[in-house]
Amino acid sequence: MIMKELYRRLSLSLALLLMLSSTVLAQERMVSGTVKDENGDGMPGVNILVKGTASGTASDADGKFNLSVPSNDAVLVFTFIGYGTKEVSVGSRTVVDEVLVPDQTSLDEVIVTGYSVESRREVTGAVSSVKASDLTVVPTGNIEQQLQGRVAGVTVVTNGQPGSTSQIRVRGFGAFGGNEPLYIVDGLPVGSTEFLNPDDIETTTVLKDAAAASIYGARAANGVIVYTTKKGVKGGKTLRVSLDVLGGFTDPGEGIDIMNPADHAKWTWKAFENTGFNAGEPPVYTHPQFGTGSTPQIPDYLLVGSQSGVNGTLDLAAEREKYNVTDFSKDIYQVTTPAEGSGTNWYDAITRTAPLFRGTLGISGNSDKSRYYIGIGVQEQAGILNYQNFRRYSLRVNTEFDLLKNLRLGENVQFTYRQVRLLQGAGGGSGSSDDENDILTAFRMPTIIPIYDEFGGYAGTRAAGFNNPGNPVANLDRQKDNRGFASSGFGNVYLEFEPVPDLVLRSSIGGNFNSFYTWSYFARTYENSENNSAVTYNEGAGQVFGWTFTNTANWKKTFDDHSLDVLVGQEALNTGEGRNMGGQGLNPFSEDRDFVTLSTTTPGSTRTVGSNYFKGVNFTSYFGRINYGFKDKYLVSFVLRRDGSSRFGSENRWGTFPAGSVGWRISEENFLQGSSWIDDLKIRGGYGVMGNSNNVDPNNQYFLYATGVDPASYPIDNSSAAEGYYRSRIGNSAAKWEKAITMNIGFDGSFFNSKLDVVIDFWRKDTEDLLFQVPITVLNGPNATPPFVNVGEMLNRGVDLQILTRGKIANSDYELTVNGGFLHNEIVALNEGATYLQIADADPDFRGIRPIRNQLGQSISSFFGYKVMGLFQSTEEVNAAATQDGAAPGRFRYQDINGDGEITVDDRTWLGSPVPKFTGGITFKIKNFRNFDLEMYMFTSLGNKIFNMSKWYTDFYPSFTGAAIAQRVTGSWTPENGGNSIPIFENNSNFSTNTQSNSYYVEDGSYFRFQNITIGYNLPVATLSRMSLEKLRLFVGLNNIFTITDYDGLDPSVGGDVDFRYGIDIGNFPITRSFTFGLNLGF
Amino acid sequence: MEVTPTASITNAQLTSKAGLEGSIIGSYAMLHGRGGFYAGSTNWLWGSVLGAEANKGTNSGDQAQVNEIQAYNPQTTNNSVFEKYSACYEGVARVNSFLRLLPDADPTVEEEDKTRMEAEAKFLRGHYYFELKKIFNNAPYVDETKDYKEGVEDATNGSDLWPMIVADFTFAWDNLPETQGAPGRANKWAAGAYLAKALLFQKKWAEAKALFDNIIANGKTAKGEKYGLVPLYGDLFRVANDNNKESVFAIQAAAATGTINNANPDFVLNFTYNGGPAGCCGFFQPSFELANSFRTASGLPLLDGSYTAPANELKTDQLVPAATAFVPDTGPIDPRLDHSVGRRGLPYLDHGLHPGVAWIRDQNYGGPYAPKKFIWTKAEESSGGVDKSSWTPGYTAINVAIIRFADVLLMAAEAEVELGNLEKAREYVNMVRTRASNPAGFVMNGGAPAANYVINIYATAWTDATLARNAVRFERKLELSGEGHRFFDLVRWGVAATTLNAYLAYERTKVSASPFLGASFEAGKAEYMPIPQVEMDILKGLTQNPGY
Repeated sequence: MIMKELYRRLSLSLALLLMLSSTVLAQERMVSGTVKDENGDGMPGVNILVKGTASGTASDADGKFNLSVPSNDAVLVFTFIGYGTKEVSVGSRTVVDEVLVPDQTSLDEVIVTGYSVESRREVTGAVSSVKASDLTVVPTGNIEQQLQGRVAGVTVVTNGQPGSTSQIRVRGFGAFGGNEPLYIVDGLPVGSTEFLNPDDIETTTVLKDAAAASIYGARAANGVIVYTTKKGVKGGKTLRVSLDVLGGFTDPGEGIDIMNPADHAKWTWKAFENTGFNAGEPPVYTHPQFGTGSTPQIPDYLLVGSQSGVNGTLDLAAEREKYNVTDFSKDIYQVTTPAEGSGTNWYDAITRTAPLFRGTLGISGNSDKSRYYIGIGVQEQAGILNYQNFRRYSLRVNTEFDLLKNLRLGENVQFTYRQVRLLQGAGGGSGSSDDENDILTAFRMPTIIPIYDEFGGYAGTRAAGFNNPGNPVANLDRQKDNRGFASSGFGNVYLEFEPVPDLVLRSSIGGNFNSFYTWSYFARTYENSENNSAVTYNEGAGQVFGWTFTNTANWKKTFDDHSLDVLVGQEALNTGEGRNMGGQGLNPFSEDRDFVTLSTTTPGSTRTVGSNYFKGVNFTSYFGRINYGFKDKYLVSFVLRRDGSSRFGSENRWGTFPAGSVGWRISEENFLQGSSWIDDLKIRGGYGVMGNSNNVDPNNQYFLYATGVDPASYPIDNSSAAEGYYRSRIGNSAAKWEKAITMNIGFDGSFFNSKLDVVIDFWRKDTEDLLFQVPITVLNGPNATPPFVNVGEMLNRGVDLQILTRGKIANSDYELTVNGGFLHNEIVALNEGATYLQIADADPDFRGIRPIRNQLGQSISSFFGYKVMGLFQSTEEVNAAATQDGAAPGRFRYQDINGDGEITVDDRTWLGSPVPKFTGGITFKIKNFRNFDLEMYMFTSLGNKIFNMSKWYTDFYPSFTGAAIAQRVTGSWTPENGGNSIPIFENNSNFSTNTQSNSYYVEDGSYFRFQNITIGYNLPVATLSRMSLEKLRLFVGLNNIFTITDYDGLDPSVGGDVDFRYGIDIGNFPITRSFTFGLNLGF
Repeated sequence: MEVTPTASITNAQLTSKAGLEGSIIGSYAMLHGRGGFYAGSTNWLWGSVLGAEANKGTNSGDQAQVNEIQAYNPQTTNNSVFEKYSACYEGVARVNSFLRLLPDADPTVEEEDKTRMEAEAKFLRGHYYFELKKIFNNAPYVDETKDYKEGVEDATNGSDLWPMIVADFTFAWDNLPETQGAPGRANKWAAGAYLAKALLFQKKWAEAKALFDNIIANGKTAKGEKYGLVPLYGDLFRVANDNNKESVFAIQAAAATGTINNANPDFVLNFTYNGGPAGCCGFFQPSFELANSFRTASGLPLLDGSYTAPANELKTDQLVPAATAFVPDTGPIDPRLDHSVGRRGLPYLDHGLHPGVAWIRDQNYGGPYAPKKFIWTKAEESSGGVDKSSWTPGYTAINVAIIRFADVLLMAAEAEVELGNLEKAREYVNMVRTRASNPAGFVMNGGAPAANYVINIYATAWTDATLARNAVRFERKLELSGEGHRFFDLVRWGVAATTLNAYLAYERTKVSASPFLGASFEAGKAEYMPIPQVEMDILKGLTQNPGY
């Protein structure tokens, strides 16, 4: 509703133009009238045309209009973006009052493409938009998370941590890194949108192909996501207030099953027996806790002082005297008893039911010559992990003033305070899935260890025999005072000037600043086998400032059957110049939080400081676009943008990015006019080129040397670090833009009286001149960053579809929307002679397992390793099989791919791709069942694989000897019972057990998730008016209600740090069930 | 549109004296490897573990890629192999980068300094190529005349590295000053010793001997102190004795320099587990075979190998629970054992008695022993010899000698044996043994020697070259164990296959979950590591080492 009103002023100016150009004819007479909206408010700016002529007018601020008509036969056509077109015969009337209702056809939705606004009917490129209400129903903090499943062709990679950075990919993965889309907020490009308050968003538009996006030229190759925020609107009520409140709880759910203490002991013994079996020897039973007999014994105490596995009774009073967990100058002395029964559930111990709250107060209004929107937002969302919390306070102020009749001054600005606590994983939380974090630790801690020792201190692996997991409860407790927060400002000021009625000149200067501060304490630990030996304190800060200066001229004119829309513009920007600094100190005199600063840590060289300085990247751009339409039937668009960037050396600094598209509204043709079931049908086709430079460091053009205490200092005097220099970068001044060439054919249709809307796009995107670091030999010095050079090609192709049906059940309107995207991603070319991408980042190492390879003909980040045919069942089978290092009964039998009788590195093969073949969402809404509304949302991801690396930690005895064992190991191969899936549990780590990437870890990652159901109750109008309210809706919702999947791990929503660590599950932070409730209030 | 880089330096800025000196420092810096656990020049894995002095230790799954290395069967894709290879070439590249800068040196840089710096650089390049030669044999060679897109891409391997190594050390020997401003710099005598070592590896006995004679008679440290043996063997591994008179060339280690990369990052895993100093991570556990080698009879080692006979084996606490009493071996042993091998019931430096299994991560896999050289003492901890700025305090300021004078003496002794001067060899060996037998250097427990230390010099004249050769070689094992030399010695002596297969067979019987199950040493292959697969893929001119 508000979204539609936003465009009244634009329409008004267009209508004025029409009015002025109309010709006065002889027999004409005047009619007048009022146009009202569905609420009975006068609608300004409605376009009223006399059918078959060019004469027309537009309604004024109160919805009133006057128009001369040629005769009684005249038919008036009322049009307004977002509302149904209405044709009315004048007859003999002199007063024609009409009510317009919002259009049900999604083809009429408004598409905000950043520099301009179009109706979907006019669009010839691949564009999707999402309704703000669809987004706010999801109770997350970040708007990008809410896009999942809402837009065909958009992949959202995220996890369950509040405040986690999510990674968005539009139409696949175009390059080896730097695949994030360009975000535009109120016309300004921005690197991240996590500062935005979802309730402030007015429109969200995704530009997917070159025809739509290449107006953003060099930065558009990965798609463009355009947000606009709410504005005050002309006309209607002078003041509107809305209050949106959402509250709820997130439940942590269940962890994976870990063996209880008795089973842990039993299976430790089983490991000894199996080890003996494969060594051909009797088992050797020995464990610091469970004794040396042929049956394991759970000891009376796990730890007494320095003794582990103690039996007998203790005089606890006497022990308490010796207790010491605080004075590190003496020996630590603890008494720890084993946890009983099923033992400690560590997942339960580190998680909690987490409350969440989001509230936004929106105030919008207008006066004669000004409009404003003020949004005040608060989000407080606890994570399911102890102490994890996300907090955002935002203030948005958008205003616009009519300085003159044809001159407007406006601004959009937001100030945000943002704090995220205890985020796990690199990349703002996006790397949590391949991170050895507390979630993983909960599954590595044996259940026999209690959380606390006998006297209240933490218990842990100081008790020998359980290897090295650290008590995760203690770990989190100790970090509870760690903080990190950012404050930012983002916005622009613009002038819009209409020197003549057809022409809008717009100039905008915008900027964003971001400053952050962090501090963290790391305590000395005592309860673990591997302890921190120092108290560490870190503090850091930084700031960055970027700016954008944009000037555009937009000329729109319609004459006779022709419509023309011409946009030319110029833009200059800097992505952000700034500095960061950080310091670290050790062992302050006291750990009192009021005492500790960097200055109170131990003086001297253990107090370190570092900083860095960056200048951002400069862009200068010129662009233009012509849209031409003939009879509203044939549409042509041509876009050209030329960009220069300081990322590249002078020889290839500039790139030119053209795109063209055509549309044919076939439903306007005579031969379809008679069709009763086709309301509207358009065929679109587009071709064009977009650029990308995200993936290249601005210093790529230079040969550089550097200094640094870590890589190059040396204590030549045997006491302090002398500064050393080394070559840090090999330059390539010839690097140029990556080019994404897109082709798109789309159909937009509306059928059966708008009961069915279909948007289908068939698309293909070829990325050429891919920038990546062609591997160079270490003979150049491996510390020098190799240059990015333009080689390689990537193919993405797919089908995006959106199907919407609507109708009535039981007198209620329902709407069912299916969004889906098929994606095929393939590496087409690499550097000459290479069959796979040989750079370290593309070959990550997880505890010696290297599961990923980027290979020609496969998708990005595919899983690679040995294919497990099963387990060796006998020595005879081992002897008969291909030679394989470490082969023995119960161990993996790998497939001899090349059939040479020997398992070597050449027998590794493709184990699957983490890239889903299909992702999609289904939304079902009932809008007005009596006073209730209902929305359901489901999401599915199909055809992707997950590398469940967490099994490496929990399923193999030698991975970390003595650590926790997954319950599923009870089904592992044994000499007695055989088995063919889970390998023998034994103390052997070799090629045939746990050292190689193989298909054992690869699981089907497909899932279907019932993500949300929300039921709302709208107070009846009568009640509302008694309360002087416009709207009051109360709602309750359930999120992540159930998930259907074959995946064995905690949660199949495994993203990770794309693009090179995609789908690796080590400590994936699960998305779990939550309950929400709230209200939407308006007056 | 032009945005200049920040916080970095262009080539032209490095041609000042300070820039050139800093480039040399950067070249020294790679002695520490700077990343990973196997990249530095300590060679604890490549020399000592492969040389049968220790096994990887810890448990089987930890750093599991090392399992196949210590089983003498690494995959060509093994990351630790690549780590070492890569770090050596970073060292080479830094030297080459410096040598390319040198001709453009600012005119104010004095000739004397330029010569000295060039010589230091070439010394270091000699060192890095020596590492590559020992470990990879057929490693490709690039010098300062080849660079990115200027010939590096055409590199081949297979031509012998020795002439280039010898040329670099010769330049250093001819041009380095006898004393240096900082103790960590290579001086003339260090270059001489390294040159002699290179000649020894090539069996150029006479040339090596001539140099050794000169070094033993006249050599001095960078500080100007005449070479000699420090009186107490255990002092070699103490922070306070860094750059002692025995230190010919050492990796300089210092704590709290702002990076743990200057504090022996290679050794961080090589501390006892779950107690004791650092408490992590249980790697580098001395082998049964090594420990037994310290058994003496009449104060001399059992050169016939009978130290592994049941009657002579050391008593161990293998499979003895912590709570069960244990009395350590009481037979005669060389006192260097208890400076080299941590064992239950003996003082573990000043950390009290080693408690046995309580400090061992997985005794059933790694055996009963703990490393002892290069482990910090409590005294060092309290006097700032330990860098505690990282995840474990396993970073020390203890220098690691690449060549120490005892090594020079024993190398000289080898040359003398091969030249037939057996008595001269005996003299050198006895110098080393005399120091080891200094009772003031015995590990003490409660005021008395902690074990039954019996050590004598070879009092009888050597007349049999084989016996002399065996005695010299055995002395190297005892004196230099755990210091990263043994495997390379075994290979150059041509005895690697027999020695190591015997070792595997023996060690295999000692623990049930032995890391050596199924392992064997394949002669003609296992002497050298494979050229890393990734480099084979990039440089088409490379030929893989035999057997891989």
